[in-house]
Amino acid sequence: MTAPGRDLPATAQSSPPVRERSLPGGVDMWVMVLGDLFFFGCYFVTYMVFRALSVEEFSASQRHLNVGIGVTNTVVLLTSSLFAALAVIAVREGALRNARRLLLATGACGVLFTLLKVYEWHSEISRGHTIHDEFFGFYYVFTGVHLVHLALGLLILGIAVRELHDSRGRRPAIVEQSVLFWHMIDLLWVVIFALLYLMR
Amino acid sequence: MTRLPAAPLLQRDKLTVLIVWAALSAATVLAWLLAPGESPSATNLDKELVVAVVALGLIKCRLIIRYFMEVRHAPRGLQIATDGWLAVVWLALLGIYLT
Repeated sequence: MTAPGRDLPATAQSSPPVRERSLPGGVDMWVMVLGDLFFFGCYFVTYMVFRALSVEEFSASQRHLNVGIGVTNTVVLLTSSLFAALAVIAVREGALRNARRLLLATGACGVLFTLLKVYEWHSEISRGHTIHDEFFGFYYVFTGVHLVHLALGLLILGIAVRELHDSRGRRPAIVEQSVLFWHMIDLLWVVIFALLYLMR
Repeated sequence: MTRLPAAPLLQRDKLTVLIVWAALSAATVLAWLLAPGESPSATNLDKELVVAVVALGLIKCRLIIRYFMEVRHAPRGLQIATDGWLAVVWLALLGIYLT
Protein backbone atom coordinates (compact mmCIF):
# COMPACT_ATOMS: atom_id res chain seq x y z
CA MET A 1 0.00 0.00 0.00
CA THR A 2 2.87 2.32 -0.73
CA ALA A 3 2.40 5.28 -3.03
CA PRO A 4 5.13 5.04 -5.66
CA GLY A 5 7.62 7.85 -5.86
CA ARG A 6 7.17 9.31 -2.35
CA ASP A 7 8.96 8.70 0.96
CA LEU A 8 11.20 6.00 -0.43
CA PRO A 9 12.87 3.75 2.19
CA ALA A 10 16.48 4.38 3.11
CA THR A 11 18.85 2.29 1.03
CA ALA A 12 22.27 3.84 1.70
CA GLN A 13 23.94 4.07 5.12
CA SER A 14 24.98 7.66 4.47
CA SER A 15 21.40 8.95 4.07
CA PRO A 16 19.09 9.26 7.10
CA PRO A 17 16.30 6.64 7.29
CA VAL A 18 13.05 7.76 5.69
CA ARG A 19 9.73 5.97 6.24
CA GLU A 20 7.73 4.59 3.37
CA ARG A 21 4.01 5.42 3.15
CA SER A 22 1.87 2.49 4.30
CA LEU A 23 -1.56 1.54 5.67
CA PRO A 24 -0.97 0.46 9.29
CA GLY A 25 -3.43 -2.23 10.39
CA GLY A 26 -4.42 -3.24 6.86
CA VAL A 27 -7.38 -2.35 4.67
CA ASP A 28 -9.87 -4.77 6.32
CA MET A 29 -9.59 -3.19 9.78
CA TRP A 30 -9.69 0.30 8.27
CA VAL A 31 -13.01 -0.50 6.52
CA MET A 32 -14.42 -1.52 9.92
CA VAL A 33 -12.95 1.55 11.67
CA LEU A 34 -14.24 4.02 9.06
CA GLY A 35 -17.68 2.35 9.11
CA ASP A 36 -17.83 2.61 12.90
CA LEU A 37 -16.70 6.25 12.79
CA PHE A 38 -19.45 7.03 10.27
CA PHE A 39 -22.23 5.47 12.36
CA PHE A 40 -20.99 6.97 15.63
CA GLY A 41 -20.77 10.35 13.89
CA CYS A 42 -24.45 10.03 12.96
CA TYR A 43 -25.34 9.14 16.59
CA PHE A 44 -23.39 12.15 17.86
CA VAL A 45 -25.19 14.59 15.56
CA THR A 46 -28.57 12.99 16.38
CA TYR A 47 -27.92 13.49 20.11
CA MET A 48 -27.03 17.14 19.54
CA VAL A 49 -30.25 17.72 17.55
CA PHE A 50 -32.34 16.24 20.41
CA ARG A 51 -30.36 18.35 22.88
CA ALA A 52 -31.09 21.50 20.85
CA LEU A 53 -34.83 20.75 21.19
CA SER A 54 -34.65 20.64 25.04
CA VAL A 55 -31.51 22.60 25.97
CA GLU A 56 -32.53 23.44 29.56
CA GLU A 57 -33.51 19.86 30.45
CA PHE A 58 -30.40 18.31 28.90
CA SER A 59 -28.08 20.89 30.47
CA ALA A 60 -29.61 20.33 33.93
CA SER A 61 -29.22 16.54 33.60
CA GLN A 62 -25.65 16.85 32.29
CA ARG A 63 -24.68 18.72 35.46
CA HIS A 64 -25.49 15.57 37.48
CA LEU A 65 -22.61 13.70 35.78
CA ASN A 66 -19.38 13.30 37.73
CA VAL A 67 -16.85 15.05 35.45
CA GLY A 68 -13.97 13.84 37.65
CA ILE A 69 -14.78 10.21 36.77
CA GLY A 70 -15.08 11.19 33.09
CA VAL A 71 -11.65 12.87 33.15
CA THR A 72 -10.11 9.89 34.99
CA ASN A 73 -11.58 7.46 32.47
CA THR A 74 -10.28 9.61 29.58
CA VAL A 75 -6.74 9.61 30.98
CA VAL A 76 -6.97 5.84 31.65
CA LEU A 77 -7.96 5.20 28.00
CA LEU A 78 -5.30 7.61 26.67
CA THR A 79 -2.72 5.74 28.76
CA SER A 80 -3.97 2.43 27.36
CA SER A 81 -3.50 3.85 23.86
CA LEU A 82 0.07 4.88 24.78
CA PHE A 83 0.83 1.29 25.87
CA ALA A 84 -0.80 -0.03 22.68
CA ALA A 85 1.26 2.29 20.44
CA LEU A 86 4.45 1.27 22.29
CA ALA A 87 3.49 -2.41 21.82
CA VAL A 88 3.40 -1.94 18.03
CA ILE A 89 6.85 -0.32 18.14
CA ALA A 90 8.15 -3.17 20.35
CA VAL A 91 6.91 -5.76 17.83
CA ARG A 92 8.64 -3.87 15.02
CA GLU A 93 11.84 -3.95 17.10
CA GLY A 94 11.43 -7.70 17.57
CA ALA A 95 10.99 -7.29 21.37
CA LEU A 96 8.05 -9.67 21.51
CA ARG A 97 8.06 -10.29 25.28
CA ASN A 98 7.99 -6.53 25.89
CA ALA A 99 5.18 -6.18 23.33
CA ARG A 100 3.15 -8.81 25.13
CA ARG A 101 3.57 -7.00 28.46
CA LEU A 102 2.51 -3.71 26.88
CA LEU A 103 -0.59 -5.31 25.35
CA LEU A 104 -1.49 -6.77 28.77
CA ALA A 105 -1.04 -3.29 30.31
CA THR A 106 -3.34 -1.93 27.59
CA GLY A 107 -5.96 -4.51 28.51
CA ALA A 108 -5.56 -3.77 32.23
CA CYS A 109 -6.36 -0.10 31.53
CA GLY A 110 -9.43 -1.27 29.59
CA VAL A 111 -10.60 -3.31 32.58
CA LEU A 112 -10.02 -0.31 34.89
CA PHE A 113 -12.09 1.88 32.52
CA THR A 114 -14.90 -0.71 32.65
CA LEU A 115 -14.86 -0.86 36.46
CA LEU A 116 -15.02 2.94 36.71
CA LYS A 117 -17.88 3.01 34.20
CA VAL A 118 -19.84 0.37 36.12
CA TYR A 119 -19.29 2.36 39.35
CA GLU A 120 -20.50 5.52 37.58
CA TRP A 121 -23.61 3.77 36.22
CA HIS A 122 -24.39 2.35 39.67
CA SER A 123 -23.95 5.78 41.22
CA GLU A 124 -26.24 7.47 38.66
CA ILE A 125 -28.94 4.79 38.83
CA SER A 126 -28.96 4.82 42.65
CA ARG A 127 -29.60 8.60 42.50
CA GLY A 128 -32.61 7.98 40.25
CA HIS A 129 -31.02 9.00 36.95
CA THR A 130 -32.46 6.34 34.65
CA ILE A 131 -33.53 6.12 31.00
CA HIS A 132 -36.79 7.90 31.91
CA ASP A 133 -34.71 11.09 31.61
CA GLU A 134 -34.08 11.81 27.91
CA PHE A 135 -30.45 12.86 28.43
CA PHE A 136 -29.66 9.81 30.55
CA GLY A 137 -31.29 7.62 27.86
CA PHE A 138 -28.63 8.89 25.43
CA TYR A 139 -25.96 8.64 28.15
CA TYR A 140 -26.61 4.94 28.81
CA VAL A 141 -26.86 4.08 25.10
CA PHE A 142 -23.65 5.94 24.15
CA THR A 143 -21.59 4.64 27.05
CA GLY A 144 -23.14 1.14 26.75
CA VAL A 145 -22.43 0.79 23.01
CA HIS A 146 -18.93 2.17 23.63
CA LEU A 147 -18.40 -0.39 26.41
CA VAL A 148 -19.45 -3.21 24.04
CA HIS A 149 -16.77 -1.98 21.61
CA LEU A 150 -14.27 -1.93 24.47
CA ALA A 151 -15.15 -5.54 25.38
CA LEU A 152 -14.63 -6.51 21.73
CA GLY A 153 -11.32 -4.60 21.82
CA LEU A 154 -10.21 -6.61 24.85
CA LEU A 155 -11.05 -9.84 22.99
CA ILE A 156 -9.04 -8.69 19.94
CA LEU A 157 -6.11 -7.68 22.20
CA GLY A 158 -6.27 -11.19 23.71
CA ILE A 159 -5.98 -12.67 20.21
CA ALA A 160 -2.91 -10.46 19.56
CA VAL A 161 -1.29 -11.56 22.86
CA ARG A 162 -1.92 -15.19 21.90
CA GLU A 163 -0.47 -14.50 18.44
CA LEU A 164 2.77 -13.29 20.03
CA HIS A 165 3.27 -16.82 21.41
CA ASP A 166 3.07 -18.16 17.87
CA SER A 167 6.27 -18.52 15.84
CA ARG A 168 4.69 -17.77 12.45
CA GLY A 169 5.51 -14.51 10.69
CA ARG A 170 2.17 -12.67 10.97
CA ARG A 171 2.97 -10.83 14.17
CA PRO A 172 3.32 -7.18 13.12
CA ALA A 173 0.12 -7.28 11.06
CA ILE A 174 -2.02 -8.90 13.79
CA VAL A 175 -0.76 -6.57 16.53
CA GLU A 176 -1.17 -3.52 14.27
CA GLN A 177 -4.79 -4.52 13.54
CA SER A 178 -5.72 -5.07 17.19
CA VAL A 179 -4.06 -1.83 18.29
CA LEU A 180 -5.77 0.14 15.50
CA PHE A 181 -9.16 -1.05 16.77
CA TRP A 182 -8.15 -0.10 20.32
CA HIS A 183 -7.19 3.43 19.26
CA MET A 184 -10.62 3.79 17.64
CA ILE A 185 -12.23 3.02 21.03
CA ASP A 186 -10.09 5.78 22.56
CA LEU A 187 -10.97 8.18 19.72
CA LEU A 188 -14.72 7.60 20.14
CA TRP A 189 -14.50 8.08 23.91
CA VAL A 190 -12.78 11.47 23.45
CA VAL A 191 -15.82 12.65 21.46
CA ILE A 192 -18.34 11.06 23.88
CA PHE A 193 -16.58 12.67 26.87
CA ALA A 194 -16.71 16.15 25.32
CA LEU A 195 -20.29 15.68 24.11
CA LEU A 196 -21.88 14.38 27.33
CA TYR A 197 -19.71 15.83 30.11
CA LEU A 198 -18.35 19.14 28.80
CA MET A 199 -20.72 20.58 26.16
CA ARG A 200 -23.46 21.55 28.62
CA MET B 1 3.29 -7.73 5.54
CA THR B 2 4.69 -4.18 5.71
CA ARG B 3 8.44 -3.50 5.64
CA LEU B 4 9.65 -2.73 9.17
CA PRO B 5 11.04 0.79 9.80
CA ALA B 6 14.71 1.30 10.70
CA ALA B 7 15.82 1.40 14.38
CA PRO B 8 16.39 5.21 14.56
CA LEU B 9 12.85 5.77 13.31
CA LEU B 10 11.46 3.41 15.97
CA GLN B 11 13.31 5.29 18.72
CA ARG B 12 11.88 8.55 17.41
CA ASP B 13 8.41 6.97 17.30
CA LYS B 14 8.64 6.07 21.01
CA LEU B 15 9.47 9.65 21.96
CA THR B 16 6.72 10.95 19.67
CA VAL B 17 3.95 8.79 21.20
CA LEU B 18 5.08 9.77 24.72
CA ILE B 19 4.90 13.49 23.85
CA VAL B 20 1.50 13.00 22.18
CA TRP B 21 0.18 11.16 25.27
CA ALA B 22 1.34 14.01 27.53
CA ALA B 23 -0.30 16.60 25.24
CA LEU B 24 -3.56 14.60 25.13
CA SER B 25 -3.68 14.27 28.93
CA ALA B 26 -2.93 17.97 29.42
CA ALA B 27 -5.64 18.92 26.89
CA THR B 28 -8.13 16.69 28.76
CA VAL B 29 -7.51 18.46 32.07
CA LEU B 30 -7.58 21.88 30.37
CA ALA B 31 -10.93 21.10 28.71
CA TRP B 32 -12.28 20.04 32.14
CA LEU B 33 -11.25 23.37 33.67
CA LEU B 34 -12.80 25.28 30.76
CA ALA B 35 -16.15 23.42 30.74
CA PRO B 36 -19.16 25.62 31.59
CA GLY B 37 -20.09 25.39 35.28
CA GLU B 38 -16.68 24.11 36.44
CA SER B 39 -15.38 27.54 37.43
CA PRO B 40 -16.33 28.65 40.99
CA SER B 41 -17.28 32.08 39.68
CA ALA B 42 -20.30 32.45 37.39
CA THR B 43 -19.59 33.55 33.84
CA ASN B 44 -21.61 34.47 30.75
CA LEU B 45 -18.94 33.06 28.47
CA ASP B 46 -20.46 29.57 28.24
CA LYS B 47 -20.61 29.59 24.43
CA GLU B 48 -17.02 30.82 24.11
CA LEU B 49 -15.87 28.15 26.57
CA VAL B 50 -17.67 25.43 24.58
CA VAL B 51 -15.93 26.64 21.40
CA ALA B 52 -12.62 26.13 23.25
CA VAL B 53 -13.76 22.68 24.46
CA VAL B 54 -14.67 21.71 20.87
CA ALA B 55 -11.32 23.01 19.56
CA LEU B 56 -9.46 20.94 22.17
CA GLY B 57 -11.60 17.88 21.34
CA LEU B 58 -10.86 18.24 17.63
CA ILE B 59 -7.12 18.62 18.27
CA LYS B 60 -7.12 15.56 20.57
CA CYS B 61 -8.94 13.44 17.99
CA ARG B 62 -6.54 14.51 15.25
CA LEU B 63 -3.52 13.70 17.44
CA ILE B 64 -4.93 10.20 18.11
CA ILE B 65 -5.64 9.63 14.40
CA ARG B 66 -2.35 11.02 13.15
CA TYR B 67 0.09 9.68 15.75
CA PHE B 68 -1.51 6.70 17.53
CA MET B 69 -3.36 5.32 14.48
CA GLU B 70 -0.34 6.32 12.34
CA VAL B 71 -2.39 8.01 9.65
CA ARG B 72 0.47 10.49 9.21
CA HIS B 73 2.28 7.73 7.29
CA ALA B 74 -0.86 6.46 5.52
CA PRO B 75 -1.92 7.07 1.89
CA ARG B 76 -3.30 10.53 1.17
CA GLY B 77 -6.86 9.24 0.64
CA LEU B 78 -7.09 7.98 4.22
CA GLN B 79 -5.71 11.25 5.56
CA ILE B 80 -8.38 13.18 3.66
CA ALA B 81 -11.15 10.77 4.79
CA THR B 82 -10.23 11.02 8.48
CA ASP B 83 -9.79 14.80 8.35
CA GLY B 84 -13.17 15.03 6.58
CA TRP B 85 -14.84 12.97 9.35
CA LEU B 86 -13.27 15.16 12.03
CA ALA B 87 -14.33 18.41 10.36
CA VAL B 88 -17.91 17.31 9.61
CA VAL B 89 -18.60 15.80 13.07
CA TRP B 90 -17.07 18.55 15.22
CA LEU B 91 -18.39 21.45 13.13
CA ALA B 92 -21.88 19.90 13.06
CA LEU B 93 -21.83 19.42 16.87
CA LEU B 94 -20.63 22.98 17.45
CA GLY B 95 -23.01 24.46 14.88
CA ILE B 96 -26.06 22.75 16.43
CA TYR B 97 -24.91 23.66 19.96
CA LEU B 98 -24.58 27.36 19.06
CA THR B 99 -27.96 27.64 17.26
